[in-house]
Amino acid sequence: MYDLTLYSQIVWTSLANSSYQVLFAVAFALVLKVLGIWNFTQPALMAISFYCMYAAIETFHMPPILAMSLALIVTVVFAYALERWAFATLRGRNSGPIAFFIFTIIVSQFVIYILTLIFTAEPRFLLGNMTWASHQMFGVFVTNWDLGAMSLTVALVFALYLFLTHTRYGQFMIAVADNAELAETYGISKSRCYLLTMVIAAFLINTSIFLLGSKIALYPELSLHMMLFAVAATIIGGIGHVFGAAFAAVAIVLIQQLSVLFVGSRWQPLLIFLILFVTIIFFPSGVRIRGAKS
Amino acid sequence: MTSRRKFLKSLAAFPPVVSSLSWAPFASEAFAAGEKEVFNYGVLLPLTGGAAPFGLDQVKAHMWAVDEINAAGGANGRKLHPIVLDSQAKPDVGVAGATRLASVDKVPMFVTAFSAVVAAVAPVANRNKVLALSAGANSPRIAKLGDYVYTTYPLADVDVTLLAKYAYQKIGARRAAAIFVNDESGIYGAEVFRDAFKKLGGEVGAFESYEPTATDYTGAVLKIRAANPQVVHLHGNASDTPIALGQMRQLGITVPVTTNTAGYNPELIKKIGTAADGLIIATLAPGPKDSPRVEKYVERWQKEEKRIPNNMPNTQYVHDAAYVVKALVEECDKDGKALTGENLRAALLKVHTFNLPLTDTVTIREDHTVTKPVYLIGVKDAKFVEMGRFE
Repeated sequence: MYDLTLYSQIVWTSLANSSYQVLFAVAFALVLKVLGIWNFTQPALMAISFYCMYAAIETFHMPPILAMSLALIVTVVFAYALERWAFATLRGRNSGPIAFFIFTIIVSQFVIYILTLIFTAEPRFLLGNMTWASHQMFGVFVTNWDLGAMSLTVALVFALYLFLTHTRYGQFMIAVADNAELAETYGISKSRCYLLTMVIAAFLINTSIFLLGSKIALYPELSLHMMLFAVAATIIGGIGHVFGAAFAAVAIVLIQQLSVLFVGSRWQPLLIFLILFVTIIFFPSGVRIRGAKS
Repeated sequence: MTSRRKFLKSLAAFPPVVSSLSWAPFASEAFAAGEKEVFNYGVLLPLTGGAAPFGLDQVKAHMWAVDEINAAGGANGRKLHPIVLDSQAKPDVGVAGATRLASVDKVPMFVTAFSAVVAAVAPVANRNKVLALSAGANSPRIAKLGDYVYTTYPLADVDVTLLAKYAYQKIGARRAAAIFVNDESGIYGAEVFRDAFKKLGGEVGAFESYEPTATDYTGAVLKIRAANPQVVHLHGNASDTPIALGQMRQLGITVPVTTNTAGYNPELIKKIGTAADGLIIATLAPGPKDSPRVEKYVERWQKEEKRIPNNMPNTQYVHDAAYVVKALVEECDKDGKALTGENLRAALLKVHTFNLPLTDTVTIREDHTVTKPVYLIGVKDAKFVEMGRFE
């Protein structure tokens, strides 16, 4: 019924659209791996990053790249402050996972509420024109956004891989993730590693929100809706496997979009829950490809 | 007392703040002048949220009409006093607003819009015998929501049926597809198009939805493309229509796209430019070329806001709703009846036909429907172009 071009188009566009989901998922999985926290403040970071860019472009007429840089500074400062004064304090009190969970949820809701008061819940477009030049390759429409988003995502994920595996601080982070107390006996500062992790996560979030915001209109609560995706990708990719979450994000987007060819599109949002149920029950350590490393 | 006056004055100095709360200053002025008691009624529209750009413009248009009416002596000497509340275009928020209007403000009627909100507030209106006047919702279900829910706005079977006819007869399409937002308005609107197009002898090859919170429409859009339609009907909300249309164009769907009045939005042109070309929008109100009063209305928008209103036809209906309120109050006063929900409802059925400044004549039928001509607007070279009036 459907020709190869159509399948190719779905695969291509889904891969492109998975770019921002990959970055969100990697940011979430990285914080979980190193800090051991289900970081539900991520929607707050996403929303702060977006509205900084939006205000810089709309109010101060900054060029997008400058707006993105400004948003990066603000998001990094917020992420740093979260770790320095909130997570560290909770950790110092030996707070359990429930305390972290409640705290992170409250922070997100609070920030989103404030941003809704300031910017209202009206969807906002980041750029003046939301269409991108497109070209046809073997019958498949390829937009400049697709190419830019995919290149940036691959470059960032690869850079993170190199950072974690080939730099001193990256290896410190892995060591802290494996056993923070043991790492400290070797002179590694776990608090510095935690701060660095939050800064890297903020950087990934800032980039991904720019990609998303340059494609669709955003409103404060959308970041909460998107959180579920990052959680699902982290669980499916295997908790503690940062790059597993990246692959899981791509797989979920592909499955969701391809599924439309076989079932009605109204069932599409349910698929993510179905995949989560199956993973949690049958693959509690995540869906792993034998021999793969994360 | 002095501080209260100061507070009211400070509110009056900031019209947007006043409009988001209530149009309070009228009340004290009217009583001070010893005029007839003001007529309080509700206006329940989105002032925040995704639909706020539309709701705020609708409220502005409504307040212009109220000002005109009050400046000309009001409704039989009574000043109209709308109490404006935020519905966010969400059913739960709408119910809270309607409950407040009925129980706290004790208004006998309120004006509202948006299909999901109208459906949700209907039980509140029926239970409290408060007349709910929808001035901008098109779900066919609205005709069956109970004794106290009426509409001045034609339901989807009017404009969407016309779009199906236009696609079949004028464009000559025999294969169509529909893509719609998965909410009250989208589902019913798309179903009306599908049924009308099929009834004419056409075939609807794909019928796909997307979630209001979707960030990616790829699968649904490509399924539409695979059906190889000669025309696509897009039934979305004002905020998602530009994105859905943009993605359709970028994924190679170049055929004409018909849509409901949500497409009549300057932001759509601004954000996707010539990708909007080929869009055919059905609206239910005359344009500036059809009516000198609408021309003046547009001039006022251009002068005061430097733009045309978002979803202009809907603002015309909400504007004219103030004149319906005026007519109902005058009818009750003429008969010496108290201004209750029951009497206002009876007056509505008695007056039946209203001559309104921006939407022409409207006849409200006992079956809770309205018949009006449909105006088609096309997009060419990234500009809205009037295509004519269709009965």
